Formats: sequence, C-alpha cells, structure tokens
Amino acid sequence: MVMATKAYDKSFREEVYKNVDSGEDVKLCMQCGVCGITCPLRDKMTHGPRQIWSLIRAGKRDEVMDSPDIMLCTSCYTCKVRCPRGVKVIDIMHGLAHYALEQGIVPRAETAKFGKVFWDSIYKTGRVDETEVPMRYTLTAGPIHGLFNTLEMMDIGRALLSHKRMKFKLGPGIPPSKKIKGIKGLKKMLDKAQAMSPGKEG
Amino acid sequence: MDKNQACYLCQGCGLGEALNFEKLQEVVEEAGIGEVKTHEQLCSPEGVAFIQGDVDGGVNAILLGACSCRVKTNEFDFGPEVIVERASLREQAVYPSEAEYEGEEEAGEDRQMLAEDYLRMSAVKLAKSDVPVPFQLEEAPETSVMVVGGGVAGINAALAAAKAGVDVFLVEKEDALGGFLGKMAKLAPENPPYQELEDTHLEALVAEIEGNDKIKVYTGNTVTETKGAPGNFDVTLSGGESFRCGAIVQATGWLPYEPEKLAEELAYGSNDAIITNVDMEAKAKAGDLGGIGSVAFIQCAGSRDQNHLPYCSAVCCTVSLKQAMLVKEANPEAAVYVIYKDIRTPGQSEEVYREAQRKGVVFIRRGEDYPKISESGGKLAIETADVTLNDTVEIDELDLVVLATGMKPNNPRVVEPPLVALGMDQEAAKKVAAEAKAACDDWSVLNLKYRQGPNLPTLKYAYPDSHFICFPYETRRTGIYAAGTVRRPMRVTAAVEDATGAALKAIQATKAAAGGFAVHPRSGDMSFPEFAMQRCTQCKRCTEECPFGAINEDEKANPLPNPTRCRRCGVCMGACPERIISFKNYSVDMIGSMIKSIEVPEEDEEKPRVVVLVCENDALPAIDMAARAGHKWSPYIRFIPVRCLGSINLVWIADALSSGIDGVMLFGCRRGDDYQCHFIKGSELANVRMSKISETLDRLVLESDRVRVEEISFGEVDKVPQIIAEFMETIEEVGPNPYKGF
Amino acid sequence: MTYLLYPGCSLEAGGSHYEVSVEAVFKALQVELKEIEDWNCCGASIHYVGGTELQTKTLNARNLALAQKQGGYDIIAPCSSCYIQMVKTAHEFDEEPELAAELNQILGEGGLSYSGGIKVRHVLDVLYNDVGLERIKAAVKKPLTGLKVAPYYGCQTTRPYGEYDSVEEPTSMDEILAALGAEVIPFEHKVKCCGSGIFFTEMDTCAPLVGDIIGEAAAGGAALISVPCPMCQMNLEIYQPRLEKILKTELDMPVVFVTQLMALAFGMDPNKDAALNRNIVSANEVLRHLAA
Repeated sequence: MVMATKAYDKSFREEVYKNVDSGEDVKLCMQCGVCGITCPLRDKMTHGPRQIWSLIRAGKRDEVMDSPDIMLCTSCYTCKVRCPRGVKVIDIMHGLAHYALEQGIVPRAETAKFGKVFWDSIYKTGRVDETEVPMRYTLTAGPIHGLFNTLEMMDIGRALLSHKRMKFKLGPGIPPSKKIKGIKGLKKMLDKAQAMSPGKEG
Repeated sequence: MDKNQACYLCQGCGLGEALNFEKLQEVVEEAGIGEVKTHEQLCSPEGVAFIQGDVDGGVNAILLGACSCRVKTNEFDFGPEVIVERASLREQAVYPSEAEYEGEEEAGEDRQMLAEDYLRMSAVKLAKSDVPVPFQLEEAPETSVMVVGGGVAGINAALAAAKAGVDVFLVEKEDALGGFLGKMAKLAPENPPYQELEDTHLEALVAEIEGNDKIKVYTGNTVTETKGAPGNFDVTLSGGESFRCGAIVQATGWLPYEPEKLAEELAYGSNDAIITNVDMEAKAKAGDLGGIGSVAFIQCAGSRDQNHLPYCSAVCCTVSLKQAMLVKEANPEAAVYVIYKDIRTPGQSEEVYREAQRKGVVFIRRGEDYPKISESGGKLAIETADVTLNDTVEIDELDLVVLATGMKPNNPRVVEPPLVALGMDQEAAKKVAAEAKAACDDWSVLNLKYRQGPNLPTLKYAYPDSHFICFPYETRRTGIYAAGTVRRPMRVTAAVEDATGAALKAIQATKAAAGGFAVHPRSGDMSFPEFAMQRCTQCKRCTEECPFGAINEDEKANPLPNPTRCRRCGVCMGACPERIISFKNYSVDMIGSMIKSIEVPEEDEEKPRVVVLVCENDALPAIDMAARAGHKWSPYIRFIPVRCLGSINLVWIADALSSGIDGVMLFGCRRGDDYQCHFIKGSELANVRMSKISETLDRLVLESDRVRVEEISFGEVDKVPQIIAEFMETIEEVGPNPYKGF
Repeated sequence: MTYLLYPGCSLEAGGSHYEVSVEAVFKALQVELKEIEDWNCCGASIHYVGGTELQTKTLNARNLALAQKQGGYDIIAPCSSCYIQMVKTAHEFDEEPELAAELNQILGEGGLSYSGGIKVRHVLDVLYNDVGLERIKAAVKKPLTGLKVAPYYGCQTTRPYGEYDSVEEPTSMDEILAALGAEVIPFEHKVKCCGSGIFFTEMDTCAPLVGDIIGEAAAGGAALISVPCPMCQMNLEIYQPRLEKILKTELDMPVVFVTQLMALAFGMDPNKDAALNRNIVSANEVLRHLAA
C-alpha cells in the first residue's frame, strides 16, 4: 500500500506523547515488527501496531485516528511479552482508541457501543451486570434493529438463563442492577482519576 | 638424554572390558618398552601416585595408553624433565569402534588391532622424542614495552603496562597526546544506566601518563626502524633517539572515510550544512549546537556499501545516538531524525539507543537506497524511503544533515580498491586487491626489518590482525600487538579494553622470550625449530612460508631463524624439501616412523588401512567430541595429530603409500577468508601442496583419490563420522594399495 | 491457608459454574476463601472505551485497598481478565512510586488508601504452587482415567508477567489434569487468543480464532476442553451454534472449567459441586463412563 508522500510533521507525535495513555512508549519502538506478526488478528489489520507507531512518528494523524486497527486489540498480551523493547503495545492501542472516541471518531462501532454501556454500568453501579449490559447494548441499535438483535441473541440468552448463568430480567432496569455499597466513593475516585489522566490536566 | 621408559595402560572408562590388555602389553614390550603396567583408573589420585612413584624412582619417559591427550593434562604432568606420550585409546580406539565389526573372524579383533597400532605409534614417538631445551637470546632479554600511538588505546596501553610494572616508551607523531579523543566533545554513555553523556577525561589521562616515571613519552616522533625479535627489539625514532624494548603495542588509530567520495550519493560538498560526523563532533566540541532546530543523521553513509566501505564500522550508530543526544541537550525542542538501514549498537550501546529514543529522537528505516538531499528555501530537505511505512517520505526544513561516515584503517596507502574489491568481478577484484595490498604492506608504522616486509600483514580490509575470533590483538608478528582502531573499527570503550589486553599480551611476550617458550597458541612450548644447515640448499621456502616472519635471510639466502618470533607451528618443517628442520619433540623422521610402525594386513584380509593426519587445534577436538558423543566410524582408520596441516611434509604421504597404507587424509581446519587456522594459513598451504602431488602419485602408479584434504571446524562434531565414511567409501572403490606387502 | 476471593462480575453470572466449582474444590482441599467485601468491577478488557488508563487502575486499586483492609491476604482472582487487570495494577503500583502516589490521592477521594505489596494470584497458581500436585492427587477419588482433555489456558492466564508459569508454554493445568488421571493431549493452541473482550462485538472477525482452537482439540481426539477462565469458557462454548454458521463447520465441543473436572475427580456431586448442569454444550456424555 502506498500513501501520498507527505513531509514528517512533529505536531501529532507530540500530541500522542502528551495526551494518549502510555503514548510516550511509542518513542521506544525499534520497528522490529514482532508485535505485528505476533498479533492473532494480524490478517484483519491494515497497518498493525508497528506501522501505527511509524505513522504517529511521521505525523500522519488521519491515517492513525481513522484506522479501525486501533480498536481491534483483543488484549491477549502476546505482543507485550514478545516485544524486545517492552513497549506497552496494548496500553497504547487502548489509549489511542480512547483518544479517538473522545474526539468523536469511532474506529469500530459495535465494540464502541458495547464498551460504552459496559463502562456506564461500572460507573453507575460499580459492577457489570451480565444481563443488563448486553440488553442495553442491543438496544443501542435503535428500537427496531435492537429488537432484531435481541431476537438473534435470544437463543443464547435463553440457554444461559436456563443453565443458571444469567439473571432474569424483563428488560433493561427491570429489576434494576444492584449497586455496590461504596458507589458514591467510587464515582468520586473515577472523576478524580479522569481529571488526572494525560491530556486532561488543567 | 638417557631414557628410562615405562608404559601405563588404563582400564578405566570401559577400556578394561573392551580390550585384551595382555596382548596390548605384549605389543608395547615388542616395541621396546620393558616396563608395562596396567591400572584400573590412572587419572585417580591413586593412579597418578602409582606413576609418580615410578617417576621418583627414575622413570623419565612415559607412554600412557588412556584417554585423549587433550584431557587430564594436569594429572599427567610430571614436570618438564619427564616426557609423556599419550595414546588415545579411549577417544580413538574404544569409543568410536563397535565391539563387533563386519567381516571379523574373531569379535573385537579390529578394535584390538586399532589399539595396538596406537600403542606402536606412540612407542615410536616416545623413542624419538627428546626433552626440549629452551632457546636463550644471546643478549639479555628486555622487559620494556614500546607503545606506538598516543590516542585513547595507546595511552591506556601505556598506563596498563606501567601499572603492571614494566618500563614503557610511548611514541606519538603529533606534538601532544590525545589522538582523536582530543577532538571529541563527549563520549556516549559508558556506565549504567547508560543515560548520561560522559567526559573524555583526556587531561586526567595525560596527567597520569606524565606523572608516571615508568613511561617515557616521545611526542613529535615516528618510528623509522624496528629490528630484532621479541625480547630484543631495537627501535630508532625520527628524532634520532633509539632504544631496545621487549615487545611492542601498535595503537595508531584510524582514518575517517573521505566524504568527498559521497558527493554523488549524498550531495556532500554541495551545501555547508551537509557535514560528517567528524565535523559534527568538532561543532559539538565548539559548543555550536544551540541553533539547530532540526537535524537528520544519515547512517551507513559510505558504509556497508560495495562502492565504498563494504563493512560496518560498528561505531557510527552509537556516535549518531550520542550526537543526537547532544543536540537534544542543547535544544530539547529540536526535531532530530536518524535515517538508518539497521541500528547496530554493540554491547551496552543498545541502552544508549533506548535513551535517545526516550529523548524523542525519531528513527526512520530507509532500506538500501540513500536518501535524496536537496536544498529548499535556504534549508535542507530529505526524501527517503520509509521501509516500515512502505512509502517515500519527506523531511523538510532541516538546518543540518550529518553523514555518519565510517572508519578506515590508518594506512595512507589504503585506497578504495581492497575495500571495493569484494563486489566486483572476482578476477579483476583479486588483481586490484593484490595491488592495493602490496601498496599497504609496503608502508609501515614500525618499519620492520623483516625478510617478509616492513608492515604487519593484514587480514581483511587492510586491517592488521591474525585471527578474528581466537586471538584479538595478536598480529602475525610475534611480540607485536595491535590495539584499538588500528585493528578494527571500534568505539572508545572497546579500545580501552583492547589496550589493556594488548599491553598484557606484550608483557607476556617478553616473559616468553626470556624463558624461551612459545606464546599463543602453543603457549609454554619450549621446543623450537633447529636447522641442519650443512644440508640447506638456500631454496627460501622456509623464509617465505613462515606465517610469522620468524626467519630472516642472509645475503646468500641462508635462513636466519629468530626463535623468539617463532610460534612453533612447524610450517617451515613442512616446507623444507631437504627435511633439515626439526624440533626436539616433533620431526619428519618421527611422524614418518610412526606411520611405518602401523601393521598393514595382507591384501586378502580385506582390512584396508587409512592414515589421517589431524590438525591438533580443530580436527582433533572435533574427533574427541564426536567419539565422546557416541559417534562410530571405521576401525581401519589411524589418526596422527600434527601441530598444523602446514607442518605436513610430503614425504609422509610417500612413507604411508609405500608401506601399503591404502589412503591418507589430511584433516584440518577451515581455510579461505574465514579461516580458522591458528597459524594463519596451514590448511591453505597443505591444500596447495597436496594439489601438487597428484603428479607424484601418477608416477607411482597410484590413484590420486587415495589422498584427500578435508576441513572441519572445531564444533562440527557431526561431520567427523560423515567425512570418514565418505573417504572410506572412496578407498573401497579405488581398491587395495598395490604396494601392500612390498 | 486463607485467601481473599475476588469473584469478579463473570463469576456471578456467565461463569457461575466456575464459582460453584472453585468454592467446592477449595473447600475439599481445606483452603479458606473470604470474599473481598464490596468489590467493584476490574474494568476487564474493554475498559478503555469509556475509561482512561488511570481510571481503570483506580478500579483495581480500590479492590486492592479493600483487600488490604480485610487482612491483606493473597487475592485469588479466578477470572483471567480480572487477574491480569489486578496483577497489572499491583505491579505498576509497586514499581512506579509516582503512580502509587497518584492512586493514593485518588483513593483518598473515597476515604481509602493502599500501601502496596499485596499479591494477586490465579486459581492455577494457588492450586499448583500452594496446594501442590501431591495434595490434589491425594484428594482424587474417581480418577478421570481415559478422558482425553485439551488444556486451553487462554491469553491472560499467564501473560504478560508469567509469574507462576511460562507465558508461551504453560504446563500447570496440564499437570493438574494429569494428577486427576486425565490424558492431556499436546495442544499448540493452549495460549492462542480466543478473541477475549471483543469476541462478542467482532464475532465474524474473531470466529476463526475459536474455530482453530476447537478444531485442534477435536483433531487431537480431545473429548473436551479444559479452561481456567470464564471469558474463554464463554467465547468457546455459548456461541458454538452461531460459529458453526459463520465457519460452516461442526463444533460441538464441551468446554469445562478445570475446577469442574477436579470436583468430579474428587468424587463430589456432578451438579451441586461440579455444576456440570450449567454447561450449555453438555459434557455429560463424555463424562458418563467416569461416573461408575
């Protein structure tokens, strides 16, 4: 794949080093490519981690932020253990995905929707209700599509329910998920942590 | 000497069960050794005491039938006055043979014959061996060391030698000590955690030299003549002074590769902002980096390139990392790019690489092609392939482009040809390489008055060295050691290590010269070649072929040996057509007699015999290891270790074939560019000599297939049985030697 | 032997048979488990969508702080995803003083603090290293003789730290299964990824990963796959009907927790203790002959 020739631009890499979680680790990559060939989903990626780091260094903002690759990480840690430089490959990938989402860029819609519902559940209750979260997720597709999704997943849900691996719910919030006792404190902590995260200071 | 001989046969390690010791005893007695004793484990304290008792009682020549001569050397050392000859019954007879072999009338007879032959050969060798008497120089041996070159390697070599207690003469051509170290701004990180640039500490080093009364410094001087040999080198300087020293360290540094040659590829000379790493160092030393807003380093500028330096200088990457860090120190906001083929950071420099990355230096992998450098709007721009992005990228607005050029050997006669030669048409390349090599060899720092030329012979790319793995610092001129970048490109840390190593080697050489024993690799060997001059025909082969330049000539072409230059390889002995050169414990007659002592069965017994002359440095250890690893091979093989294949005299081949031996193999080390020979070219010489004997074989109506040269390296254990099997197959095809039974 | 148990969200629902069997097995081995009171979710593999790295570390630091308040015993996190999130935060807290200070500042908002040093352990780690194969062998009453098992560890069980087993070629579960009398087949996919946290939302993309894992197990003659992680169990098991359509191949491979097999081998109740009735792809058929 050949991209349009463009001059190296240092503004994007500085932005990544400063604002993206674990972004500074991009500096340490020595381009050996072990992460790329090691990734279980390498065939499904356009760039793969090594090329993403190079694009960042080259300043190719759009190519990076628009790449669906940055949200295809399964967190299997194979790259992390094999990277001879100990680069936090997974953390950077997650950081980049988070950074893109924050700016309204959605590298992978379904994972983004699911992840949002998942995090909301943590933030509101302290835990993830494995019945509530999929239900809410299926409805993110809108009432009609959501219904289809629900029907499609119905057999799986029914199976889980009948094998005592899912709680019974009529719908989202019926009955509502339990909250942990310290939920107020947890919320305060998460808010504080967000304020202290890279790129959020000040 | 009067020999009081005794033989000891070991029954340990399974030998007792594998062999008939009564018959072995008879064989030894027939060979003329009256006293034969067996023991269940000779290397045990009881076994050693058993022998020592006899030594105390007057035995001074011992035949040991036990394990390989390469093992248990401490146990079986009974002092310099006692000759120990070892038949390797374990590694050469029992381990590699089967308890029963095809076509045997009686099970185990071939193995038994094998062991018996080894004892016969060893008995002959013992009978023909004498205790060496160490050579003594006519004039008192010197212990002082001359160090030539006052850069980082020379300074450190001088200090190391002085600290070890010897007097040092330090010669430097410039008016001040320091060499390139004096031109450096900073050193790349050398100490954990390898994050801080370091000072050169040159002033402190010079002060230490000046404050050391063991070191006499001659600045503004070159060496006009070096005569003599280790222990007695006579040196004259350009300033007219002269002195005698025991050994020499040459630490005369390097030359930067000429950037003018990169005008085409890298636009050198077209713009003042395109500079070399040497220029960059000067800029840094002058404190002139603050104004740099963006800079690109181009690695392998004229290195690893068949049109320039074909090799990697191993320093330019670390130098660029250091200079990149210097730029970042002067201006943390500066955009710094390193455009590379491969980052090569030997040793702990990998940490320096990491640190430069942490500081935000951007690395771009370019592939083989050079980037294009152009001018644009008063600044420089680079267009380069970016291998990782599979794209061409640009870097604009550069204030500076630094070409990371490599190191050349410090010999003004070195021009491109020997370096270019590799990539060219081979025949043409050999020619220019030979011409250039001759030009290099004709120029010298030391101006040696040696028959073989004034310079240290070079190994590759015009660097003087003798062996790229086994003997660093060791040149092909005994007692002269190369340290630092004169030997190969290296960074300061490595040059300091080199300096210490070379200084210690030099001191060792003075001790060896005084004691009359050999240096590496036959360390401690007190034998040396003796010439029966009345039979010399002045053919010059010995003087020409000695790999170490040990033999000078008088005006009538008589050889003038310098035993303290000698490494005891025996190449001269192999070369001499008159067979007048021999050692007290190694001679043409000795090996010839050993060959003749082998019992050759009649043709109708269908038991061929093959003699293998084995290089003791590579092939012998490989054979030992193969045997210990359980490999088996034909019991018709008889190994005879030799000091070097170069020491093989052609008469041995004749001896073997005329006594009915069916085949002779020369089993040596690797030759060629990546040679493994401990004596530089022994294997090479043997190959050349053997190629010339097919004519002789034809005259004898013998097939030239009966003689073969094989090479093996130390670790190629699996190849041992394979090579032997192939040769045995050939011998079977050729059929029995017609001279059998004559 | 006392440990603090961090069940995690999965063990309350999709991995409930893991919780049942873990508790049964540890009880049989006389290991006391005390649940961390008021624990919260670890963030799992998908935390980054909604939260920052520091927020995820906060989630885990809170659990570590609660554990410290509760006596500071080693924590057992049976779910590999929970395990890796907690162990990662615990490591980084201990190794990076700046991060530790930040986290304590954050914990302070909820009146908590953590001083570091708590060890987070996986179920396999505790079974293999603390309990030991000898005690496991001694507890076996109905050996799993003749049962061919594919040992699937998944990604986050040993990676990235490899604290108790090799990151590339672990053997702890192999050895535990062998101690139960089972025949463990050589299994190249033992640490290959199943798709983990994005499997559900990227099923078409990740289907071949699971297909390969089940495929190798079947080709090796395994009657079932043994796992030590509820995410793996879920991904490998419950979507099999859908995966069969995507991959156009038959799967039908029971996937059970190693603790379920242990409970069975210890002679405990197949349903009450081993919770085998909670497996959707039933293992009853292949385990029937063992019941005798």
